[in-house]
Amino acid sequence: MIRRALSKVASALVFSAALALPVHAETVRSYPFTKAAAIAGARFFADHCSACHAVSSLRYNRLAQDLGMSEAAIKQQIMLPGGANYLKGMRPAMTQGQAKKWLGMPPPNLSHLGRALGSRFLFTYLTSFYWDPERPSGWNNHVFPNVAMPDVLAPWGGVYTKDGKLLKPGSEPRRVYLQQVADVVAFLRYASDPSVFERRALGRYVIGAFLVLAILAYLLKKDYWRDIWSGSRTTDKPSVGTEGSRTGRG
Amino acid sequence: MEKVEHDTTEHLNRGRRRFLTAATTVVGVGIVGTVAVPMVASLEPTAAEEAAAATTFNLAPVEPGMQVTIPWQKKPVIIVNRTPEMLATLKEVEAKGVLKDPDCNVPQQPPYCKNMYRARQPEWLVMVRICNHLCCIPHYRPKKASVTPSWLGGFHCPCHGSMYDLSGRVMKGSPAPHNMAVPEYEFSKDGKTVTITKMYPKAHLC
Amino acid sequence: MSKFGDWFNARFPAREMMREHLTEYYAPKNFNILYYTGSLLLLMIVLQLISGFLLMAHYVPTSQDAFNSVQGIMYDTKWGWLIRYMHVDGVSLIFALLYLHMGRGLLYGSYRSPRELLWIIGYLIYIMMMGEAFFGYVLPFGNLSYWAGQVITSIIHAIPLIGPALTTLARGGPGVGTATLERFLALHAVLWFLIIAALIALHILALHQVGSNNPDGIEIKDHKGPDGVPLDGIPFHPYYTVKDVFGVAVWLMVFAAIIFYAPTMHGVFLEKTTFFRANPMVSLPDVTPPWYLAPYYAMLRAVPNKYVGIVLMAAAIVLPFFLPWLDRCRVRSSRYRPVYRIMIIVMAVTFFTLAWVGEQPPLPKYFLIERLGAVIYIGFYVLLPIVSTFEPVRPVPERVRS
Repeated sequence: MIRRALSKVASALVFSAALALPVHAETVRSYPFTKAAAIAGARFFADHCSACHAVSSLRYNRLAQDLGMSEAAIKQQIMLPGGANYLKGMRPAMTQGQAKKWLGMPPPNLSHLGRALGSRFLFTYLTSFYWDPERPSGWNNHVFPNVAMPDVLAPWGGVYTKDGKLLKPGSEPRRVYLQQVADVVAFLRYASDPSVFERRALGRYVIGAFLVLAILAYLLKKDYWRDIWSGSRTTDKPSVGTEGSRTGRG
Repeated sequence: MEKVEHDTTEHLNRGRRRFLTAATTVVGVGIVGTVAVPMVASLEPTAAEEAAAATTFNLAPVEPGMQVTIPWQKKPVIIVNRTPEMLATLKEVEAKGVLKDPDCNVPQQPPYCKNMYRARQPEWLVMVRICNHLCCIPHYRPKKASVTPSWLGGFHCPCHGSMYDLSGRVMKGSPAPHNMAVPEYEFSKDGKTVTITKMYPKAHLC
Repeated sequence: MSKFGDWFNARFPAREMMREHLTEYYAPKNFNILYYTGSLLLLMIVLQLISGFLLMAHYVPTSQDAFNSVQGIMYDTKWGWLIRYMHVDGVSLIFALLYLHMGRGLLYGSYRSPRELLWIIGYLIYIMMMGEAFFGYVLPFGNLSYWAGQVITSIIHAIPLIGPALTTLARGGPGVGTATLERFLALHAVLWFLIIAALIALHILALHQVGSNNPDGIEIKDHKGPDGVPLDGIPFHPYYTVKDVFGVAVWLMVFAAIIFYAPTMHGVFLEKTTFFRANPMVSLPDVTPPWYLAPYYAMLRAVPNKYVGIVLMAAAIVLPFFLPWLDRCRVRSSRYRPVYRIMIIVMAVTFFTLAWVGEQPPLPKYFLIERLGAVIYIGFYVLLPIVSTFEPVRPVPERVRS
């Protein structure tokens, strides 16, 4: 079931290029991908998305560690009451059985979607819903035709028709609304690649260590190769080599 | 003159070369050693393993005086709901002076269980039921005089006769060296369930 | 020397080996930057062995759990992301190095007599690497892995007579599933890897038998000093070992930068569709091979006939074996062969254009590029015997230029 939903999303990816351009000029590129954005996104996700969507690969304790949140904060702000285990993956409030009964098929697990579809697509998708009375849910999407999910973010962003007319304004100014969407996308990107902040923090030290080694090795190489450039090598065959031959390689 | 200069530069060069060789070697070995740490760490138990270790048990069916033994990480863990009479025997045993380590100085339990009850809450004993001697599973003998005439209640190992009190403290004359191990655990807020989270790392099983 | 050293050496020829392969192996003194690739390849393969071992400690080769176990490495294993990215990005970097290494051979005529066997063993390693990469590619069992497994095993199907039986043998069942994963893991980690390791040993032994070529393509053994040492040769150790330590340090900076800041290289080193679970019911819209195999895939697609396409692809893979005999010029290095040099540049551009077009969706607008690329690629080998017989050459110096 989840597979089917995922593959549907995947096919939407291909069609999206051929379909109408996104309604909004803004892209996710205007919003930096930071830990703060991922934390804000995680809170928003817990409140409004994890009623239906699981992020089963991401454990709550890992979330706490990666984003620098306390166990208490996670338990209070992120974990849903009842059933969620701090050491296990993020689970939806809804059970699989309920999902089947209410929605026909369970909403997809979002563990890897941030990477599989990319932030740009997710941002455009989340901001491309429009009101379509012909659909059972009343919702449709420019980049994902006949989508099953309703526009959960409409209360903040407002309701639009297919040709972009505003039917009902949202509660937030557009700038705030888009920031919220970008935060959720940032969280999904982090969730699909949980080592990202750790990697970014560590990378410069690793590269720095190799840089130090490179500089030392370069000086050593230059020192040895002075023999070659001065032309002394061919006359005194092994004498230049023996010194280093025992210590050179380490 | 030129010859002399050549000699001194050669001498300088040799020192410089030796220094650079040593420095490159030290940095290189340092990097290899540092990289080896995460490589080896990747073989440690995974988060999935740790999550699977946490077992939650419902305490409601265990009435005072009853015990239940549950499998946890392929080890038997006993949960005893001790009555006030049973708890009173702990002091009696202490007074007799037959315990090897009455104050639980050997870290066979998490710090929060370093008391004569060896528990977070006096009535609830949560303990790995494995004899400290050679890994047998001791019998639970709560009745007085059920093992020896002066027996106050406790655990008796069928293999080599090690004896423990109702807190799992080992008695003098037993082959077992230490008290039985207590894992790390916590009660839920309402006190209706207990979650055994992991083995106390310093505790010695057998 | 030391007493233990003497004791040891009486039982194992350590000093002789050290002399033969390091301190008295004389390499030309005019190696350029392309000559780092050999030692870097050796380093990368050792790193693949280490990271591969650590990955295998967590991997479960069943169609049910393979995907989850690989994602478990990314989420639940301590430093799991590091070992997986090392392994994944290592593959792309190995192929980048292989192409530079082989390109160097083309540029300086390193495949020419007496180094024919050296070239053939090396090219065999490259072909084995393609297989190794393919087996490894299927193991994570994302949807791309699944479909890559399907497509490649069905290419075997086209082999006359034994094809269908061979396909079943490769898959271990009617389709790509648990049996396939199990045998691919066994091949990837044991048999195939051991063959590659043995071929690498043969490659190095063959190199030390004939000696290294150099950018000038001149035989340094033709000019020896009174002590029998080539005048333009220098002991590999310490001169090239210290140089290689420098090369390794710089290379690892690049490797670390990729692992820590762009581990998927925007979908080039680790494709987006590998993050969907394998699904036999949904063929992904863009089943394209990784970049390093894409040129052959483009040639496969260039022909609107399954069998001719496969024959063309097979020819493209096999032709370089014959390079030592197709080139008839008396000069080796392209430094002194202006026409040959242009041919190599055209060939390199064609190869990477084919790699690019092989990554594109199969649309008619790319057919022209694919066909043109295939013609130029094959044309290189067809024209080489003719061109090399008549091409003009510049005067070759007696000794290497430094």
